[in-house]
Amino acid sequence: MHQSHQQDCIELLVEKARRGQIDRRSFLKAAGMLAALPLAMRNGIGWAQERPIVLVNWGGDAIDAYRRAWTEQFSRETGIAVRIDGSGPTEGAIRAQIASGRPSWDVVDAEPFTSLTLGREGMMRPLDYSLIERAKVNEAFATDYGVASYLYSYVIAWDKQRFEETPRTWADFWDVERFPGKRTMYKWMNGVLEAALLADGVAVADLYPLDIARAMDKLDELRPHILAYWGSGAESQQLFLDGEVSMGQIWNTRAIVLERDTEGRVGWHYDNACVTPSSWAVLNDNPAGAESTMRFIDHALEPEGQVELLELLGNGPSNPAAAAMIPEELVELNCGSEENLAKQFKLDIEWYADHYGSVLDDFLTRTGA
Amino acid sequence: MARISARWQHRLLLWPLPAVLLLCYVLPFAGIAVWSVTLPEPGMANYARLATDGSIHAVLWRTLYLCATVGVLALLLAFLMAYCWLYSSPGWRRWVELCVFLPFWISVLVRTFGWLIALRSNGLVNGWLEALGVIDSPLALTRNSLGVVIAMVHFMVPFAFFPLVSSMRQIDDRVLLAARGLGASRWRVFVSIFLPQTLPGLLGAFIMVFVFCLGFFVIPAILGGGQTVMAAEYVFLQMFQTYNWGIGAAICMLMLALVSGLVWILLRFSRVERLVG
Repeated sequence: MHQSHQQDCIELLVEKARRGQIDRRSFLKAAGMLAALPLAMRNGIGWAQERPIVLVNWGGDAIDAYRRAWTEQFSRETGIAVRIDGSGPTEGAIRAQIASGRPSWDVVDAEPFTSLTLGREGMMRPLDYSLIERAKVNEAFATDYGVASYLYSYVIAWDKQRFEETPRTWADFWDVERFPGKRTMYKWMNGVLEAALLADGVAVADLYPLDIARAMDKLDELRPHILAYWGSGAESQQLFLDGEVSMGQIWNTRAIVLERDTEGRVGWHYDNACVTPSSWAVLNDNPAGAESTMRFIDHALEPEGQVELLELLGNGPSNPAAAAMIPEELVELNCGSEENLAKQFKLDIEWYADHYGSVLDDFLTRTGA
Repeated sequence: MARISARWQHRLLLWPLPAVLLLCYVLPFAGIAVWSVTLPEPGMANYARLATDGSIHAVLWRTLYLCATVGVLALLLAFLMAYCWLYSSPGWRRWVELCVFLPFWISVLVRTFGWLIALRSNGLVNGWLEALGVIDSPLALTRNSLGVVIAMVHFMVPFAFFPLVSSMRQIDDRVLLAARGLGASRWRVFVSIFLPQTLPGLLGAFIMVFVFCLGFFVIPAILGGGQTVMAAEYVFLQMFQTYNWGIGAAICMLMLALVSGLVWILLRFSRVERLVG
């Protein structure tokens, strides 16, 4: 009987597994390498099935991109399925999950201050840095309850058909004489108050703690020129595509897409943009447990997947080791590169952890009238 | 087997409705009521804030104002359409039916985006007006409360149309003819005989539209441009963005009280069975 070497290896593996000489993860990894997982799966070896991981992100193109950059390979290597739910892990939604007593979410791609606030209240698992290699990210990005998954930025984007000059600063954003046209800003406040204060002459070093009253007054000044506060990335994109606004404070990921889709009609840059990480965090008492989720996070901090995400969505890698692998044409799009970081200011996560809820409430009643 | 009396048969047939209401509505709502007095800590703090917080008042007044505006406009349009439908030729009737039913069958989300495309600054309406030379620069038709009102009126007209048609149909034509015979002008007949008889229908339709509008979420969220926050969106914000569940729950209770009051008026002054008959 003819037998390939590969098949023989599989038989050996199956035999070992039946006798309990190797654990499930090693088995699957080996079988996966042999590209023979389906065959091996039919051999009736019984392990306690590990629960699939439910990963919650913000939906849209990110679902597909996360699959390609992270979850498919993780599942291939570990045999643990990952389901992506795009419903948006806002602080309130995570609280609702925990309050229900039986959360159905495992890993969330949340705002770092959300991880921090909820972690302090005992709703998130402390990250296990024996399973997650802490050195994969910058020291400041690995905290007790969250570790940076990628970086993104709130940038100034503008419609080149509306004025010749290039807007550089937030004072320019407020200057409707030199840069006529409507504006759009982020509905959920991140970076908006900062923009107002910078426009009002506050230095970056003195931004935090934010002078909320001053920022709100400065926003009132721009009010007649703000067409809409965008609540979703797609909305911000549409406002530019339809030419409804001449300038906006939008995500770099959407700005990249806009510049491409409008063939350069929409311009943007990282000057004076607000850069911030997103964070991986795990809910307490999550159904998939601690180990597999920590392993997933460790996997997602590998540079390869992060570079792939940069290619797919424009999110900046949080692992500095990724820098060397970034294709040349993407280097200037990366908001996390040293050169681009120098142009931007950083959102103060601690300030947001302490103030976000109450200030957002005031902000929304002020903007929503 | 013993024969079940007719009375018991009725009771058996009727129980599923209250049971479903109890399970799916009353019990969860009791939870909301409890939140409003226990979160973040037991007491009436949420209601105290409801009574004193200026920004919440602003949201509530805006909601009531917009709902009342929509109610009046929808009623006006629906009244004209119902009148046309009742007293015009079959051809016209067909038109009115088309105008009522077509939008009625299209999802609210689709219609909301439709309005966005029509009303935005470089949209259809502004485009036509500019081409005709009526305006020089685009009018701000949407991403403000005007856009919200236009789309909500459009959505609510059928809900006002049906009760009005039904109440108009119950008006005895012979009374109108008698008034004409006794020398009243057409206008007089309309104002003194026809209109008063439609008042219960008008009241009922207004309350139905008003109550429906109180809970609107999608239209203000999309057409308001983030700058026309109404009560439903505000409650959503309290639940999912700023996580003040207690205050969100208290607003829900206040809205329920308001709706209950309106429904009481509806039952008291307007005969519901005539609105749907």
